Amino acid sequence: MDGFMLLLHDSTTSMGDISPEEIQGIIAEYVAWRDKIEEQGRLVGGEKLTDEGGRHLTNENGEIRVTDGPYAEAKEMLGGYFAIKAADYDEAVEISRSCPHLKYGGRIEVRKIDNHR
Amino acid sequence: MPHAKQVNDSVDHLFRHHAGQMTAVLTRIFGFGKIDLIEDSIQESMLRALSNWSYKGIPDNPRAWLIQVAKNNILDRLRKSSRYADLKEESKLLDKYAGSADSGADAAFANEIREDQLQMIFACCHPALTPDSRIALTLKTVGGFGVNEIASAFLSNREAVAKLLTRAKRRLRDENVSLEIPGPEHVPSRLNAVLKVLYLMFNEGYAATGGENPVRKDLCHEAIRLVTLLSEHPQTTGPKVHALAALFLFQASRLPARSGEGGSLIVLPDQDRSLWDGRMIAEGLRHFGASASGDEISGYHIEAEIASHHAVSSDYASTDWEAVLAAYDRLLARRPSPIAALNRIIALAEVEGAEAALEELNAIRDGKLEAYYPFHVTLGELKSRAGRIDEALRSYEFAFGLVDNLATKRFLRKRLEDIRSRK
Repeated sequence: MDGFMLLLHDSTTSMGDISPEEIQGIIAEYVAWRDKIEEQGRLVGGEKLTDEGGRHLTNENGEIRVTDGPYAEAKEMLGGYFAIKAADYDEAVEISRSCPHLKYGGRIEVRKIDNHR
Repeated sequence: MPHAKQVNDSVDHLFRHHAGQMTAVLTRIFGFGKIDLIEDSIQESMLRALSNWSYKGIPDNPRAWLIQVAKNNILDRLRKSSRYADLKEESKLLDKYAGSADSGADAAFANEIREDQLQMIFACCHPALTPDSRIALTLKTVGGFGVNEIASAFLSNREAVAKLLTRAKRRLRDENVSLEIPGPEHVPSRLNAVLKVLYLMFNEGYAATGGENPVRKDLCHEAIRLVTLLSEHPQTTGPKVHALAALFLFQASRLPARSGEGGSLIVLPDQDRSLWDGRMIAEGLRHFGASASGDEISGYHIEAEIASHHAVSSDYASTDWEAVLAAYDRLLARRPSPIAALNRIIALAEVEGAEAALEELNAIRDGKLEAYYPFHVTLGELKSRAGRIDEALRSYEFAFGLVDNLATKRFLRKRLEDIRSRK
């Protein structure tokens, strides 16, 4: 088993006028997905990142520059992550495929954790 | 005090009901003038829940979580817009509200929350508003329905509904409508307006037009929830409220038996009565008993009585048709309506036979009835019972031509097949 990070990128365009009932329905889908991979013993953890975009640090000619990110024109933002265990990329992708995030305008980046020493 | 229904609510429609309740509580605290801000804050709290709970799962106390987030949101917005507002009082009230989501909430405060909702119902059904906007606003503000859901229930589009709601809210702000349960001198007339809205809301949901649309069933349940709220408060309860509650519950008890495969309509004689909701019938009978306490008999009483005869009959044939017929006579004497007239004819056929009923139906037919598809269905049904098969087919075919709705079309097609097979 290897570790994988599922990086969930959110589209920054709003979901529009969505009703309380619909919101509850979408939450139920996410929770069911999370419960499923937890039951399969594949879930390591998951965290939501705050929406304000964080800080970006860069080195410009030896000077550290700190800016608020992301840029206003960014079309998407990293919203949060799930850490999972899977045999290989194929399985990690299979697990991600059923994540409701893809149904609601988001994008998932699957990265394998390098445990080579 | 949590009872079975509330426990059930905590899974079913939690967000919708909570949105309605939170709107009522926040509006009491901040005033109707801030309704847009209030609605935005509640929407924000729910979107935050969406992005947060998706990763971390549902918190131990979801309601308290939602209230806290909405509280911070609205206080931040208010502090930004007004120069000095410390809002300590408001903040304390909101904390109390969030605390009421705990299981040990005190009964007096739970009662206050119910009163907030009742006040909101009266505001939404205010006489200054048009009947259409009363229903839409009640669903949105008290019921927590979304604009799309209201539009789909009323076969309207979201722009039209959004416009209706904006106008209605502006009207209430302009009129400076006070949020209160009307005093005893005004309760009867204001209450009538509220009951009428609930009656229309229920009928819209119950109409045989929406087999495929689950939102419509929700309209029925929302009307039941609100009429129950009215029936439980000393200032608003009364025989008429109980009569309406009984009517809703008897009718809604049949919902599980009323649609078949693919949402096709199943009419009363063909329903599997074991599917009727016995708990609703029992609750309906309790309200029906309570409705007999006054000396006023309303149309709701008579409709509830008719529904009660069906509710307690073990099959179609053993229904007390003479009592049903007598009740329709009384109903029509107070309030002529084509639907009631047709239903009376059906009861008459059970009492005096199809030919006698056909004779009366021909006697009352007019241009208005002719344009109404249930008239032709009734005509077809009676003719088929009288053995006049060809005429029956013609009536059903005519009815078919008047209908757009898929579920109804399916029902009529099946009737046509059944009758043809008897030729």
